[in-house]
Amino acid sequence: MPHFQPNRVLSEILRQNITGDAMEWLLEKSRADSTSFNTAFVMIPRKTGKRNISVTQQQQRDLAEYAPGLYVNDWLTDRLARVWLLLQLDSSDKERYIRQVENLFLTAEVNELVALYSALPLLAYPEAWAARCAEGIRSNIGDALQAIMCNNPYPAAYLSEPAWNQLVMKAFFTEKPVEKIIGLDKRANKELACILRDYAHERWAAYRTINPQIWRCVGKFTDEEFFPDIQKLAASGNALEREAAALACNDSSYMPAKELLDTNPELTSAIRSGMLTWDSLAIKMKEHVLQS
Amino acid sequence: MCCSHNITEKDLQPGAQDTSYLGRIKGMQFFDPHVHMTSRTTDDYEAMADAGVVALIEPAFWLGQPRTGIDTFRDYYSSLIGWERFRSSQFGIKHYCTIGLNSREANNEPLAEQVMEILPLFIYKEGVVGVGEIGFDDQTAAEEKYYRLQLELAKEAGLPVQIHTPHRDKKRGTTRSMDIALEHKLDPAMVIVDHNNEETVKEVLDRGFWAAFTIYPFTKMGNERMVDIVKQYGTERIMVNSAADWGISDPLAVPKTAALMKEQGISDDAIRMVTYQNAITAFGQSGQISEADFIAVKEIDQSQKFSGNTILRGGQQPRMDKDSIIIR
Repeated sequence: MPHFQPNRVLSEILRQNITGDAMEWLLEKSRADSTSFNTAFVMIPRKTGKRNISVTQQQQRDLAEYAPGLYVNDWLTDRLARVWLLLQLDSSDKERYIRQVENLFLTAEVNELVALYSALPLLAYPEAWAARCAEGIRSNIGDALQAIMCNNPYPAAYLSEPAWNQLVMKAFFTEKPVEKIIGLDKRANKELACILRDYAHERWAAYRTINPQIWRCVGKFTDEEFFPDIQKLAASGNALEREAAALACNDSSYMPAKELLDTNPELTSAIRSGMLTWDSLAIKMKEHVLQS
Repeated sequence: MCCSHNITEKDLQPGAQDTSYLGRIKGMQFFDPHVHMTSRTTDDYEAMADAGVVALIEPAFWLGQPRTGIDTFRDYYSSLIGWERFRSSQFGIKHYCTIGLNSREANNEPLAEQVMEILPLFIYKEGVVGVGEIGFDDQTAAEEKYYRLQLELAKEAGLPVQIHTPHRDKKRGTTRSMDIALEHKLDPAMVIVDHNNEETVKEVLDRGFWAAFTIYPFTKMGNERMVDIVKQYGTERIMVNSAADWGISDPLAVPKTAALMKEQGISDDAIRMVTYQNAITAFGQSGQISEADFIAVKEIDQSQKFSGNTILRGGQQPRMDKDSIIIR
């Protein structure tokens, strides 16, 4: 992912969601020395409040062009303003720039962490933040984790495979909405499939439930080792698990998996027609959750 | 902080658990403006939430033994606005804190200097509702120096001050703490003087400061005495806290005191003032407390289920049955 300057769109969105006074204050602080800049970063909620923001469809499209997957509609004014302020930092001196951003991480409270991790895909020198991002995944603070994992295009673009696998595994483990992980399908890999399969076995051994989206990361690696699990899933009493099995078979080129899918013409046609996808399954899971 | 008390055979008997007092305060909400949750367990968080504690303030203090480096201070302050705040939210309790250099550790001057340098990084953080707990312990020159510097910091930031008053030579230490605050031109309405007792309360109230009372077994106030204080002085500028920490203390001190007040005929309105409202009014001068947040933090949806099992979307902790020998 190339570095980009989505400043124009973010400035526009910011301007329409905060007061003129707050915008003036932010503009002034964006040009201040580093101490004053850092204090402003901390004090932002005092100036902008914490309100829902409105984003036009055009702005949403413009942002998606800069950073596919970046979704700001559910941000509050303080988060938007903090990310915007970070984008104003002078990045001409690489070492100094990185040190200043790193220092903000070191003393950040929860909402600041959320803003900092949300800004990763927009910062300069994107490759420099991979270790920071991996460190963030070690956090147990729910909101910070979610800011890294969900609707954030940075991890898929820059994390090494082990760090990426840790992100996905931890997202399942901490019950995050995994369908919002950008690049979940694209960065699927055999090692991750093995990790998730072992996790599923652990959950089964403990009589605990498993998020069917786990099989989304397994399907295309189906072989004779994975296949018994898919068979077990296909015979589940839970309709969502049977659908996950069908989708996993559909992702696979392993012949017995193809044959297993053929035995269920109803699900096969739902997949063919586009009615049943991993994303539609995620939506159905949410509805199921609300009804039960 | 604890145990200068002569222990008798009676003190060593295990207490029978009687939680019937919870019925008397059902539906009441409490704000504990001084409790060190870092030192407490998840059982305590659950019990506090069940007893009606909706929000609390965790003052920065010393951890039972002195720190030896600046990084451990930084990490401690970070944990108050980070991990502990999150941990509390998992139980539906809104967590605020005060940030400061405590009096004991002010005596390590080289380290205290470094701490003073990083304090400005933390006091403007969201949910930091004051500078505290600061003041005197041994009443040394170093303690006075850093107390004064932090009063100036609070004044500059427009934040309330939470003053720890000493265990020894308490009465004079309390007077001196207030003298110095006034000397630095702090408005007494911005200063909460903590750990009061029958001997200190009159002067604190007469001089216009807030008087906080810590209900802490053996060494500070007992709650029967607290009831008498409220009967004598009323509710204006008086608040109750637990100061529960790593010593033998009680994180339910505020709701228990409310129950005792109720039992002894104090009005619901008066109880509300000293166990909830006054603390919010005093520390709310920071601009960092919003009662709407007490509700928002509870919007952790326990009703959402997948395949019969709860999905913890808000990240809150599931309840386990503590009376069962089965652990799942």
